[in-house]
Amino acid sequence: MAGKTVIEKILSRAAGRDVQPLDRVWVDVDLAVVRDFGGPNVVLEYEQHFGDARPSDPSRIAMTFDYQAPAKVTKVAENQGICRKFAKKHGVESLYDVNRGIGQHVLLEDGRIHPGQVVIGTDSHMNLLGAVNCFATGCGTTDVVAAWKTGRLWFKCPPTLKVVVTGKYKYPTGAKDLTLFLINKLGTDLPNYRAVEFSGEAIDDLDLAGRLTLASLMTEINAKIAFFPPSPRVDAWLEGRLGRRVEPLEPDPDAAYRAKLGYSVDGLRPLVALPHYPTNVLPAGAAGVAGKRITSAFIGSCTNGRLEDFRAGAEALTRAGGKVHPDVMLTVVPSTAEVALAMLEEGLYDAYMRAGAMVTNPGCSLCTIGHHGVLAPGDVLVSTSNRNFEGKLGRGAEIYLASPATAAASAARGVITDPSTM
Amino acid sequence: MRFKGKAWVVGDEIDTDQIYHGQYLPLTDPSEMAKHALEFVPGKEGFVAQVKDGDILVTGKNFGCGSSREHAVLCLKHAGVACIVAESFSRIFYRNAVNLGYPVLECPGITAVVAEGDEIEVDTDTGEVKDLVTGKGATGVPLSDVESRISRAGGLLEFIKTEQP
Repeated sequence: MAGKTVIEKILSRAAGRDVQPLDRVWVDVDLAVVRDFGGPNVVLEYEQHFGDARPSDPSRIAMTFDYQAPAKVTKVAENQGICRKFAKKHGVESLYDVNRGIGQHVLLEDGRIHPGQVVIGTDSHMNLLGAVNCFATGCGTTDVVAAWKTGRLWFKCPPTLKVVVTGKYKYPTGAKDLTLFLINKLGTDLPNYRAVEFSGEAIDDLDLAGRLTLASLMTEINAKIAFFPPSPRVDAWLEGRLGRRVEPLEPDPDAAYRAKLGYSVDGLRPLVALPHYPTNVLPAGAAGVAGKRITSAFIGSCTNGRLEDFRAGAEALTRAGGKVHPDVMLTVVPSTAEVALAMLEEGLYDAYMRAGAMVTNPGCSLCTIGHHGVLAPGDVLVSTSNRNFEGKLGRGAEIYLASPATAAASAARGVITDPSTM
Repeated sequence: MRFKGKAWVVGDEIDTDQIYHGQYLPLTDPSEMAKHALEFVPGKEGFVAQVKDGDILVTGKNFGCGSSREHAVLCLKHAGVACIVAESFSRIFYRNAVNLGYPVLECPGITAVVAEGDEIEVDTDTGEVKDLVTGKGATGVPLSDVESRISRAGGLLEFIKTEQP
């Protein structure tokens, strides 16, 4: 029998039997997470079907409030209350309230996530936790209700693609540019319902923040999850959070892959995703792109919300003159309270605020229309998030996806700007 | 299951914000969700006012890409759309539909066969789809094994009540 890929190992362990690609299996779920979006729906559906019945294991349930942190409309405040009440009733202790930040990031910081777990959540970007080889996936309400009740859920085991990336990054090009490059190359058909195992020197060179960026855009190419090779610095960080050694999780040398692809980052320039698809990628310096007037910029989201992202943004902002263009609104949103505190300590709040940016409390913010920064027709946003579908933040507006450096440089210049030209 | 109804047609890459916009995520009542189905799909802003129970939605590739919000399936179901036939589905949307026992059929080539407004027939067990106006047909891929049992039970929660997973 051939060796196993990472996803095959995880699902085999969780199912208690040998799992091959395309097998449908029932597995134990290690953690079932809800947000303040999806969460109230889960609670109401759970109670509708199962009444006061205790969930199979409240210690394997978590709630994280980040969609509207804090609530700006009554319904959301009520929804958050519905979740808190359920948690209290059934002894769910892992409730990360509106002051904590984006769910996956908070859980990761809090030592709740490790390689080999099966984690589900009411958010399609749960799978960014593949950055630490956790099989995490976004689910609908019903899946989470089933997992809360039984502690188990069904999965179809995805076949695995192997993607090797070589070459060296040239400053200020980095993880987000790599990500946009790869999703454009891979498209949405080839990776459809696949696990992706990344490797190669350009992957080894990614820090945790970079892995989170790359892992977070798997959803946009229909891939189920991405996994990464062991990394001394990522493993050391994770061990610090877990308080124990991390067991590395690697594919067997004779694992079977559906396809193997190779790319290089040599010569990679800063890239943007043009309206209205994440895979619609061109260089930031391309004709028709560079020089396009913008009205808004956003640095944050589960894709680019780590301290390293805000450092990169601040550096690019400084290089571009240190001030946000008078015709542009720049919104800066730390992913978590921990990141926000670190930004404060490093003087990054100073840098952004003195530049004229708005720095908000942590959360999903204007990655979704839930909170800050709705766009009007004619608005043009350069965003470090992961989606730019038509109408997402308002009708008649355009969203370009980019790295923190590109977003910051553009915010300073008032037009889409390749940060490597400054 | 067999369906017969008027076809509504949408294009490729219709994402969950277009099917069910993020601003409506706080809603928890499916009949309220139904009022916003396809609201942000260009050209389909009038859908909710015009859709009739039993109508069928036909779509291009990658329908339902984006968020895992189950609201995207619920709003269409409760707006009266009997089933959805797609060139291809985004995997989370497909899974959500299966979990709700809501009929979906993946049928490559379907958009070449069905014209908007035509009466069509769909058999989700055999995968057969037929446009009754033109007589043209296509064959899709019915649900496989586990998905089929979940859907037939009426959805995942009904399934786990009757079976020990």
